[in-house]
Amino acid sequence: MKGNYWKLGKWVLLLFILVAFPYLAGDDFFIHLAIVIEIWVVLVLSLNLIVGYTGQVSFCHAAFYGIGAYTSALLTLRMGFSFWSALPLGAISAGFLALLIGLPSFRVRGAYFSIITMAFGELVQIIFHNWRGLTNGPDGLPGIPPPPTIPLPILSNFVFSEKTAFYYLSLIAALATVLILRRLVQSRVGRAFVAIREDEGYARSIGIDPMSYKLLSFVIGAMFAGMAGCLYAHYFLYISPASFTIFQSFDILLMVIIGGMGSILGPIFGAIFLTSMPEYLHLANEYRMVIYGLLLVVVIILAPQGLVGAAQSIRTGLFAGREKRGA
Amino acid sequence: MPHEILQHIANGLVLGSTYALIAIGLTIIFGVLNVINLAHGEIYMIGSFITFYLVSKTGVNYFASLLLAIVLVGLIGFLLERIVFRPVRESPLLITLLASIGVSIFLQSLALLVLGPELRRIPTQFGETVVHFWNIALTVQRILIFGISVILIGLLYLLFRRTTIGKAIRATAQDRIGAALAGIPIDRIYGITFALASGLAAGAGSLMGALYFIDPFMGFMPAIKAFIVVILGGMGSVGGAILGGVVLGMAEVLGAAYISSEYKDAIAFVMLILVLILKPTGFMGMEEEER
Repeated sequence: MKGNYWKLGKWVLLLFILVAFPYLAGDDFFIHLAIVIEIWVVLVLSLNLIVGYTGQVSFCHAAFYGIGAYTSALLTLRMGFSFWSALPLGAISAGFLALLIGLPSFRVRGAYFSIITMAFGELVQIIFHNWRGLTNGPDGLPGIPPPPTIPLPILSNFVFSEKTAFYYLSLIAALATVLILRRLVQSRVGRAFVAIREDEGYARSIGIDPMSYKLLSFVIGAMFAGMAGCLYAHYFLYISPASFTIFQSFDILLMVIIGGMGSILGPIFGAIFLTSMPEYLHLANEYRMVIYGLLLVVVIILAPQGLVGAAQSIRTGLFAGREKRGA
Repeated sequence: MPHEILQHIANGLVLGSTYALIAIGLTIIFGVLNVINLAHGEIYMIGSFITFYLVSKTGVNYFASLLLAIVLVGLIGFLLERIVFRPVRESPLLITLLASIGVSIFLQSLALLVLGPELRRIPTQFGETVVHFWNIALTVQRILIFGISVILIGLLYLLFRRTTIGKAIRATAQDRIGAALAGIPIDRIYGITFALASGLAAGAGSLMGALYFIDPFMGFMPAIKAFIVVILGGMGSVGGAILGGVVLGMAEVLGAAYISSEYKDAIAFVMLILVLILKPTGFMGMEEEER
């Protein structure tokens, strides 16, 4: 009972800190960094569903992110949609593309899927670059409108061109992602994903159809990535193909793996760590990627469960040792 | 019109032969080690930079540089297997795939840091002379690319068919445990396979680096295309990689000429999707076995 209160207390405290953050941070830069991290959290958790839980390495997450961003940017810019209707449509279009790409590529197992996602990611880049009539090519789309202001009766209005309001919007998106995906991976469907990751043949033998569950995981992951793309587009108000290349896909994957795939906490830690660390250390981009590449190899060889997983097993290892010594 | 077609076919063969060279490396690494090596494009890039520096800075002859690049990069491949892939050998494909991504990111960004992003070209005198035959015009460099690729593939064939090492590699690819039981040192075979594959990629890099510009990101597209070639031909099949390479090279050159040059790079992806739908095991692939 006492343990439960303590647990609840921790969550309330965390929620309080998250809600109060814009007032605690004081500096617009930190709020900006927090918004970027919140968008990354949506991306890493959705990729983690595909890679960490279902065991399918996808290299085109940034393509879904980009599809979401371009869909909602074009809908609001050219067709007068509001942000609130463009957001779900961006997510749906990313999910639909995932379905199209998943259908042929899941026909064969494992590695083929990874390579076809890489090729698909490049194909999306080629289209962003060359379909100038729609995407304006490498120059990108400027002047994307921010979400419309929400008038509030008592408090001040929610003006989304201000950072604080957008912070709350992306906080809600990130928290919703955490809650929905956590719920999903703990459900029967989530256990089917893990069964496929662990042993596809065995999963099939107990009546799990790998094809449809892999597709489900891929499509859900892509939809969340599409949502993250909408947030990105309506926060930065400008998008170009350069934001959705394979290098962004690698970044998302790095965060998932270095933090710890197959858990909820690990990728979140990875997103916070890999986003804020270069800012603190003032790392130039070139050095950053050299270090990340090396870190990825080291983590894979020494601690495939990621930094959070390694920390947890060290902690339980220490406690186990103490208990043994005590007895 | 017909001579135009002959010209395109010649160009397609040249392009296809380098795709085959890169793809053979990928396919033997997959066949023997069951590893998808995503760092293969960076190996190709390193090969072309080694030749670039040897030719332009030390003035070593182009052919000697090419040979030296193959040997040096082969050594790098050998070390790579030992340092990175040996510790994760018993892990699932997912883990080795991710390790190779780490290597790829590391090598690419290290090259960017050390060598800089500017475009370079391996200086040779073979780019200017044009040879005409049967209404086809080809630069000597293009003929060299095709000829040396064919020689390298031929040497590999002889190695696989005629030497003890080659037989040991084929035995390991067929059945790792059986090979180990028969006394084949499979640890060493893994290293040698990686070295051979890397050497071939370095050869391709040194050949193409004299035709197109080189930079630290140059390995990315050829690597993806080589993967597509491997899937077209069938995973683990050397013959399939050669056939797939030529088919893709032809399709790209003809596609750029008659369909659209802007979407030239998209042709490979469309072919990939078609093959996965129509014949997922590739031209020469066997039925997928349970792993």
